[in-house]
Amino acid sequence: MALYIVEADCISCGDCEPVCPTNSITEGSIVFKIDKKTCTECEGDFDVPQCVKVCPIDNCILPLEA
Amino acid sequence: MSSQNTLSRELALRIGLAARALPDTDAKRLFTVLTDCVGLPITEDKLTGLNLKTFKSAQDGEFSDLDDVTLKSALHILKHQVEAAGTLKPKIIDFNEGDMPGSVRIAVASDDNINVNGHFGSCAQFMIYQVSADEIRLIDIRGTAIPAGLEVDDKNVFRAELIQDCQVLYLTSVGGPAAAKIVRLGIHPIKLPSVESIIEVVGQLQGVIAGTPPPWLAKAMGIESADRFRFEREAIG
Repeated sequence: MALYIVEADCISCGDCEPVCPTNSITEGSIVFKIDKKTCTECEGDFDVPQCVKVCPIDNCILPLEA
Repeated sequence: MSSQNTLSRELALRIGLAARALPDTDAKRLFTVLTDCVGLPITEDKLTGLNLKTFKSAQDGEFSDLDDVTLKSALHILKHQVEAAGTLKPKIIDFNEGDMPGSVRIAVASDDNINVNGHFGSCAQFMIYQVSADEIRLIDIRGTAIPAGLEVDDKNVFRAELIQDCQVLYLTSVGGPAAAKIVRLGIHPIKLPSVESIIEVVGQLQGVIAGTPPPWLAKAMGIESADRFRFEREAIG
């Protein structure tokens, strides 16, 4: 389980990067991206994913299907 | 602070407007040339006596490569009373859907028609521009006064709805809750760190549109992601 950033919606504000407890968010060549191998959706650290909480855009960070 | 070197508001305005009439000239450059022409302090009387030849050759011919017509129009502005604000209103050009493919509509919070200097909740008007890679068109100016008799629950929602058809909004300040209401309507607010001229800001945006717009802007321009990839491939090939 992991989250991903919708490329067409991300505005590259960078707010999500510092709040990730597993340091899974980095700035990619186009927009920010989440490393699906290390993203835990904040389970064990927080009740809700912190990146989703701080992201100013609705539905920009979504769970990866399957 | 010596009052000798300060400009009257009227003169400062004239110099600003005249600088805009000259290519690649800001008020500072024009001010330097005028200082060389007539010396400090610059007064209305001194400017009235300024002729084209002096103007053109001043400051080692700073303006010597400009044509006489342009210089004359700048001189005319310098010598004449700035007209009342009403007549300074920029010209609005009609826009019909489909006129400018690959364009975005932007709103600018401005109080003076010239600068991005408005606070979202208090600016007098939003200036609406349609911007594409090769054209910038002022298509509307929308006053923010609430019409008499209209009950408005939330002033900020009312203001955001005024510019609902825009994809981007430039301003110099906005509160958090108001910004959230703007974003909810699908408008992307951009807060500038300081006051800048509209021409400059819109010009920068045009550069981005003409280059490689970020995905969210491309989406606002109505470019489908499949097309974007096609463009990228074309750019590589």
